[in-house]
Amino acid sequence: MFNLKFAKTLVVASAVSIAAATSALAFPDKAVEYIIPFGPGGESDISARFQQSFFKDKFGQDLVVSYKPGGGGAVGWAQLNSMATDGYTIMGTNLPHIVIQPAQKDVGYTTEDIRNFYMFHYTPDAIVVTADSPYQTLDDLIADAKANPGGVTMSGSGKATANHLAQIRFDKMAGIKTAYVPFKGTGASSTAMLGKQVKAQWGYTTVGAAQGDAVRLLAVAMEERHPLFPDVPTFKELGYEMVGGAYRGMAVPKDTPEEIVKRLSDMFGEINADEAFRKQMLDGGFALLDVDAAGMEAFMAARKAEYLEAASEAGLLN
Amino acid sequence: MTERAPAAARKDVGTLIIASLFIVLGLLTLQDVTTYSDTDSVVFPRFVAYALIVCSALVILASWLRPNPANGFGSGDWWRRVLLVATMLVCCFVMPAAGFLPATAIAFAGGLIAARHEGWSVKTALVFAVSGVVIMAAFYALFRYPLGVPLP
Amino acid sequence: MDFQNLANALTLTNLALALFGVVAGTIIGSIPGLSATMAVAVLVPITFSMEPASALILLGAIYTGAIYGGAYSAILLNTPGTPSAIATTFDGYPMAKRGDGDLAVAIACYASVAGGLIGAAALLLLAPPLSTVALAFGPVEYLWLSVFGLSLIASLSTGNLLKGLAGGALGMLLSCVGVAEISADIRLTFGSSTMIGGIEVVGALIGLYCIPVLIDMVSTPERHLKVEEGGRAVRFREGAAIAWKSRVNLLRSSIIGTVVGILPGAGGSVAGLVAYSEAKRTARPGQKFGEGEPDGIMATEAANNATVGGGFIPTLVLGIPGTPPDAVILGALLVQGVRTGPTLFDGGGSIVYTFIFGLFIATVLMLPTGLLIGRYAYKTIVTIPKTILVPAVGFMTIIGTFAIRNSISDIVIMIGLGTVGWVLSRFGFAASPIVLGLILGPIAEQGFVQAWIIGEATGNLPGMFFGRPISLAIIAFTLLSLVYPAIQSRRAKRSLATKAEAND
Repeated sequence: MFNLKFAKTLVVASAVSIAAATSALAFPDKAVEYIIPFGPGGESDISARFQQSFFKDKFGQDLVVSYKPGGGGAVGWAQLNSMATDGYTIMGTNLPHIVIQPAQKDVGYTTEDIRNFYMFHYTPDAIVVTADSPYQTLDDLIADAKANPGGVTMSGSGKATANHLAQIRFDKMAGIKTAYVPFKGTGASSTAMLGKQVKAQWGYTTVGAAQGDAVRLLAVAMEERHPLFPDVPTFKELGYEMVGGAYRGMAVPKDTPEEIVKRLSDMFGEINADEAFRKQMLDGGFALLDVDAAGMEAFMAARKAEYLEAASEAGLLN
Repeated sequence: MTERAPAAARKDVGTLIIASLFIVLGLLTLQDVTTYSDTDSVVFPRFVAYALIVCSALVILASWLRPNPANGFGSGDWWRRVLLVATMLVCCFVMPAAGFLPATAIAFAGGLIAARHEGWSVKTALVFAVSGVVIMAAFYALFRYPLGVPLP
Repeated sequence: MDFQNLANALTLTNLALALFGVVAGTIIGSIPGLSATMAVAVLVPITFSMEPASALILLGAIYTGAIYGGAYSAILLNTPGTPSAIATTFDGYPMAKRGDGDLAVAIACYASVAGGLIGAAALLLLAPPLSTVALAFGPVEYLWLSVFGLSLIASLSTGNLLKGLAGGALGMLLSCVGVAEISADIRLTFGSSTMIGGIEVVGALIGLYCIPVLIDMVSTPERHLKVEEGGRAVRFREGAAIAWKSRVNLLRSSIIGTVVGILPGAGGSVAGLVAYSEAKRTARPGQKFGEGEPDGIMATEAANNATVGGGFIPTLVLGIPGTPPDAVILGALLVQGVRTGPTLFDGGGSIVYTFIFGLFIATVLMLPTGLLIGRYAYKTIVTIPKTILVPAVGFMTIIGTFAIRNSISDIVIMIGLGTVGWVLSRFGFAASPIVLGLILGPIAEQGFVQAWIIGEATGNLPGMFFGRPISLAIIAFTLLSLVYPAIQSRRAKRSLATKAEAND
């Protein structure tokens, strides 16, 4: 079990991490702290809370969720690498945030600084309208946008976010121009859509799950239809190459021993594989994803290229 | 700033200095907004900076014409004020290295000394030190355990 | 809604949970830095193993208690324990200073209970129709609401209007520091990466209000609060009489609190400020707001506790959290498998009604517990020697500020702002306008930017800003509260000659 890479780490590691590495066999033997770099109540918090109870059941230790909000997550990520490297401190990470933020400005970390060990779900992009909206299908919206260039208002959460990038990419694909109205968080952007302050929302499938009959999804950015919305087409079906949304995962400080990273990755993979957990997540409108520590590099590289292209085309990176 | 009497004199120097600093802050903001990439982030700070500059200029004018003699630091021991704030700041800077309780003990001791006007005896010093330790330990325990705050 | 639900709420477990929640919430809320949001978030994991209705009752009770608890430190230490209690300091601390702290704590309790009950009643009886208010409020309405809130600066800074406005502008600039909420620029950090997170509002409140009090406390040997010895044991009754006399104010403030609570973009702090502003506008001659007027405390406390019930309306009916603690509760419900939305009231209604009755019970329990804890808090603050009070409060500001987002730099910012705030206040720049700017600035900015984008897209900018009925009503109220003090002071001057001695 002591492979070459691990042996190498051992040589350079301090006494502290040797102790930590040896105890990896019994990992975890105390509570694991799970830092969410946002305030409570958002999608990151809710999905972490879903994991919390399964973690305790499976591994007998508490997963303690704490919050370190600020700078749209940047405050937490900038501090991640100065935290304890024993695997008992993990932090939630979000895409596209950790790609776009460092690309835009100096935020105290780079994308490569973040050592993600598992990406466990994403909230697929979706166009959401109220149940009584005149837009019955995606084509209705596109037709209106073509007739009134810049006149179709669409709410979304923040700028340079998953919603905003989706809007930019879709406008380009469909050859339309819509007006993007940024709100503070998905809740506020849903409220604006429900109150008809805007004509449609760039939201997620989770909005559809939370609002039920009050809203209609026009399309979702998934490979296949979401089981919760069997009648809603994917963008792909309608001829638009759009798959994605906001991805969420967990990371550890850079210098955490390989062995422990592997163990954490396996543990969260096990939670992700649990049928009850999958059902809870799907019912909430989330889409599950299984990118473990081994597959992370390829996954991140693909996402990074995709996001940077959309962001630089939109002029967000100067 | 450490002399006290002149504040009540002819001109309300403190107000003039503060308002001038506000104007400088406004100008710095106007400089800063030119570096933003998104016009949506420019509008509000620029508007507020103008408002701050105009208000502060009017404050200077009004204070020049009719200084308010009530303004000033008043009487009071400077060393106590400085000690209180300084020990709290020192506490923050040593906290990452020293840990939470030792660091806050510095601030606590500073506050004790600053607030004690009646003089010290061995007995009072002991009593206050002990009650200080009890208070700090109690709050530390409350925050650390039931509330789950990761204190350093 | 039938009595079965009331009976469900009245089980021994639920009663015990409500009692525990109110007591724990009151204590947590009274510690500066520990907000209602945090109190609720801490309890969430415990509720996973509970019945959904019991979990809701516990969370609702702790939320109610925390909003009330914020009044203690506002009154006794001039430090709002939660942002909701900002306007409580305006009159609460002057009352405590002159020796009426126990009375202030008692009337705050009565007002909180009244506000809580009215908010809960609105939730029980009118939730589905009232939830439309949340949707009727668009970006422009939030913009004008924040302008209305800012107009309070004018009436707060009598004789020092220019300095008040400059302070308000400073506060709004401070609110811009860090990553912009809705556009992604990093603003006013001047290259410092510690400032990216911006200025945390609660930390800033603690600094701007509490540090100056501490600095003033150490500089002279005088007592912190004036105490009058002997014969002052029956202030509960005196407080009740004052509260009864101001029942119109209580009712109006509770309604304001309920409505503002429904608005997802505004919380207890805005509710308290709006209610305070209205109470001040409709003051009787002789009432001196800002100098220890009981009606000021009652307006704020009734309004902020009414936001509890009000905030649950959009949370439960629309699945949109009305206030930040509601967002946490909504998350807990999702984990429990409870779906919010209109169907919750029809189909699975029993959970909701059990919860609402639980909220009523918790609010009623707040009356005895609140008075009791309040009395104890008051006694502690007055009897404890200053030598230990100063470092203890200083310690609490440090630990409380750290706890908000586990950040040491926030403590440094808190102390720095506090020291600057102390210097400013010595030269007539009061803390409250800065705080109003800090809190209302982001609401104004977001409302403005969003309204501008929508107005431009629809080709009707003037109509967007000045053509919507709710906006016009808010603008009218703003003008009224700006003009009214002038009329009032003229009227007061005229009657001054006749009622010179009836001033007290």
